[in-house]
Amino acid sequence: MKTMLRYPLAVAILAAGVSFNVLAGPPPGQVDFGKFTPPGDGGQFVEVQINSNLLSLAARTVEKQQPDAARLLRGVQLVRVNVIGLTDENRAEMTKRVQRIRHDLDAQGWDHNVTVQEKNGEDVGIYTKTRGGEALAGLAITVIDPKEQVVLINIVGDIRPEQVAALGEKLDIKPLKDVGAALKDAASKDAAPKEEAPKKAAPKN
Amino acid sequence: MLWSVLVFNLTGTVKIPPSSAMNPTSPPPAARRPARRLWLWGILATPLLLLLLLGAGVASLFHLGSDVRALRNELIKSRGGEWRQQIALNAGRLTLYAVRVGLAGVRLDPGARAALQSIQTAGVGVYQLASGTPPPDRAAMLAAADSAMTARGWERVVGVLDGHDLVAVYMPEKNVSVHHLKCCVLVFDGKEMVLVSVQGNPQPILTYALNRTDSRQAKFK
Repeated sequence: MKTMLRYPLAVAILAAGVSFNVLAGPPPGQVDFGKFTPPGDGGQFVEVQINSNLLSLAARTVEKQQPDAARLLRGVQLVRVNVIGLTDENRAEMTKRVQRIRHDLDAQGWDHNVTVQEKNGEDVGIYTKTRGGEALAGLAITVIDPKEQVVLINIVGDIRPEQVAALGEKLDIKPLKDVGAALKDAASKDAAPKEEAPKKAAPKN
Repeated sequence: MLWSVLVFNLTGTVKIPPSSAMNPTSPPPAARRPARRLWLWGILATPLLLLLLLGAGVASLFHLGSDVRALRNELIKSRGGEWRQQIALNAGRLTLYAVRVGLAGVRLDPGARAALQSIQTAGVGVYQLASGTPPPDRAAMLAAADSAMTARGWERVVGVLDGHDLVAVYMPEKNVSVHHLKCCVLVFDGKEMVLVSVQGNPQPILTYALNRTDSRQAKFK
């Protein structure tokens, strides 16, 4: 009788596990940028994908020396960085693709926090996804530099835009450091006029 | 040797053959010969076995690990062309342990010592594209490397293509532990391809790197 009971129970547990995994899907802060083809003619192409296994390993490694860094790394589940150099062949296609990714993020309920459009045509979009109203589930940064490259960054976990540079430093990922520094600059530029005129409308958050 | 001339019966009692009883100190020459031969074979075989083991050890130094071999074979098969092997070295646990012990008393740069403590096994293969061979498509090389490594349970953590350079870093998809980290690196500069596989405990080298960063920051403050 026990044996008869044991098997259906095992099957039910297994089925529940499988269906839970299927239903679970990717974490809410994850963005599927899709696959990218490296540009021809020796164009630049960088792809970095660090998953939770490696991040927790990095956190454990720096735990004693840098507890703050370990805490920052523990809050992150995935870091994905794509840099695709633009050539005459792929410029139009890549720009269109990034625009589509931004559109999809808007449609999926991501908060469009910041849009920076520089004079040289550089176009930066920062999106965040919240979980339960307060904690961040993910961060997505899209950069179109029409002369040089397209940069796509997705950080899954509880991390704020101002922590991107620190994360880039800890993981030694140059595009993350660069974007983090650019975000800091943009934030300081935003803060400067606010100090002079505090009544000015705050940027959309 | 005496046991060779004793006969044990099923009850466990010892029977001494009549000839032995007559002259217990000198067993018959027929029984002594095989034992002597065995010793002789033993004496001859031991150095031979040691020599074989040493040979196998030395041969293993030039035999790359299975993951690097699979990566190399896939890259060469998919891209064709003529590749010339420059170096193929493999250092296993025993070799690196011997190196660590050998260098224990030697004054070494702390970074080098930390690296030596971190690495448990390491393999390096350097291959050069024969002159006159057109440079292979780096994107296709990356795709070939991806397919070889993914099939073996590895995932690409970093992939960089810039100018003539290609760099890819692979790590196992599962069983990543802080004391047992495996990593496989592919570097190609348009002429030379370097394949490296390392297994070890990154803690000593990371501790060294972090301490160095801390001391640098303290100096600048």
